[in-house]
Amino acid sequence: MDILLIGLILILLALYGTPLFVIISAIALIAFHMAEIDASAVIIELYRLASQPVLIAIPLFTFAGYLLAESNTPQRLVNLSRALFGWMPGGLAIVALVSCAVFTAFTGASGVTIIALGGLLYPVMLQERYSEDFSLGLLTASGNLGLLFPPSLPIILYGLVSQVSIDQLFVAGILPGILMVVLLSVYSVIFFKRSAIEKPRSEVNIKNIIKTIKEAAWEIPLPFIILGGIYGGFITATEAAAVTAFYVLIVEVFIYRDISIKKDLIRVVRDSMILVGGILVILGAALGLANYMVDAQIPMKILSTLKIYISSKIGFLLVLNIFLLIVGALMDIFSAIMVVAPIVIPVAASFGINPVHLGIIFLANLGIGYSTPPVGMNLFIASFRFEKSILKLYRAAIPFLIILLIALLLITYIPEMSTWPVDWMGI
Amino acid sequence: MKTINIIDNWIARIEDWILVSLVIFMVILAFLQVILRNFFDLGIIWGDILLRHIVLWVGFIGASLATKNNKHINIDVFKRLHKGISQRIINLIINIVAAFVSAYLAFAAFRFVLDEKEFESVIFNNIPAWPFQTIIPIGFTLMSIRFIISGLNALARQEGN
Repeated sequence: MDILLIGLILILLALYGTPLFVIISAIALIAFHMAEIDASAVIIELYRLASQPVLIAIPLFTFAGYLLAESNTPQRLVNLSRALFGWMPGGLAIVALVSCAVFTAFTGASGVTIIALGGLLYPVMLQERYSEDFSLGLLTASGNLGLLFPPSLPIILYGLVSQVSIDQLFVAGILPGILMVVLLSVYSVIFFKRSAIEKPRSEVNIKNIIKTIKEAAWEIPLPFIILGGIYGGFITATEAAAVTAFYVLIVEVFIYRDISIKKDLIRVVRDSMILVGGILVILGAALGLANYMVDAQIPMKILSTLKIYISSKIGFLLVLNIFLLIVGALMDIFSAIMVVAPIVIPVAASFGINPVHLGIIFLANLGIGYSTPPVGMNLFIASFRFEKSILKLYRAAIPFLIILLIALLLITYIPEMSTWPVDWMGI
Repeated sequence: MKTINIIDNWIARIEDWILVSLVIFMVILAFLQVILRNFFDLGIIWGDILLRHIVLWVGFIGASLATKNNKHINIDVFKRLHKGISQRIINLIINIVAAFVSAYLAFAAFRFVLDEKEFESVIFNNIPAWPFQTIIPIGFTLMSIRFIISGLNALARQEGN
């Protein structure tokens, strides 16, 4: 009875905006107290993070992502992709999809994409006479599109929590990620062809292509360095983080001079490390709690209850999809990974689901949950950014969500899409 | 209240400077390690261990600043439903709970560091671990104090209105 009451109070506190690390720490402290384990066990788990080699990738990629978001990279990225794809039918929509995906991969899906790129692309889309609903829906749904591409931070975090190889996850995410971009692009082109209004279309302009390539000359190599480095087996994901952070720092501060050392650097460092700190304290608490739950065999108890109702792998995957969509709509992606993954992983394993595939399902699902009404975070960020009512955004986002859900079903029920490239490349 | 906020801002500026120095150092050292390892087949052996402890430092300073700026990761589905006084009361309760839990963690962390000192744990060779770990109790203590300040600020604003 007491436990039920405490649990209820904690859930209420969480829903009213208490920092999640406080809630999780409180649960862990209470659990340890009842198991008569000293409270310092929570701290020991937290400190154990310092023995994880991947840990260093989190601040490095976050810092690099914030530097890119605060510089003029978004503008250069949009200019370049407009020059490359703008001439195609529905080209501008594809421009939006591709640049959002690339940008999210580098900035780690914390809503920055909608803020940084949405603001640039939205007026241009309206100007080229895409309807308001279409533009809003596309930009909101694209907020987490690059989540499955390296070097996305959620993938790294999932690897850290689940002990699945990050290099494998980076390979496994490629086809599912491309599938999402392609399906949304196809929808955009069909939509473009169906709408009756004649839209102005820019011609292929070689001069302009060369000009935008020159402008972004220092940023274009970055994806190739990372992808080539990781997939070629030259560097690990952690090393890629070090190279990226150093490269981006030099390029944005000393070459483009978009980030002023005096004015901007402190703010960028502070903002990025605030996110890192927020992740770190949750991670510490969540690992402590996970440790307790595994000791108390809670995943096994959930499993035995589940097995009464669900016997097949497909049934389990369906329940998992729905569960994760709800989690994704309620929590941000980082905390969802840290809190939910440790419970789901052992349960999924006993249903015979490949751990790498599970990671991809997890991330794809949470990303979509982020734009799912009624409380998906992207909808609120977009509502704030574009100054539109949240109800308008619900309506605008739905067609895109349906496409993404189709992609999700394919990703979930065709495991080969994730696992085959890993086997093929022998990573 | 004013004096407290001035001191708090002053601490935040020190934290800013420590953060900038550590992050720049971290970026350079991490890059150096990659170059040394891949091109020269050598690397500073304690480099990675040091780097991961720096992550703890920047993380806890970041978390402390997150508390000051009210930027901790949270779910706030219900918060949007309330306005005015009821929201301020909710904020106060949340800050008190958060301050209490952080203080408890600070206390546990303090004991953990004392234990580590007594057992003479090392991070590498004969370099003791405890000085690197002190950021854990310091971080939680700062967070606890800042949750209290946030709560007091919420109250002060209420009276002001």
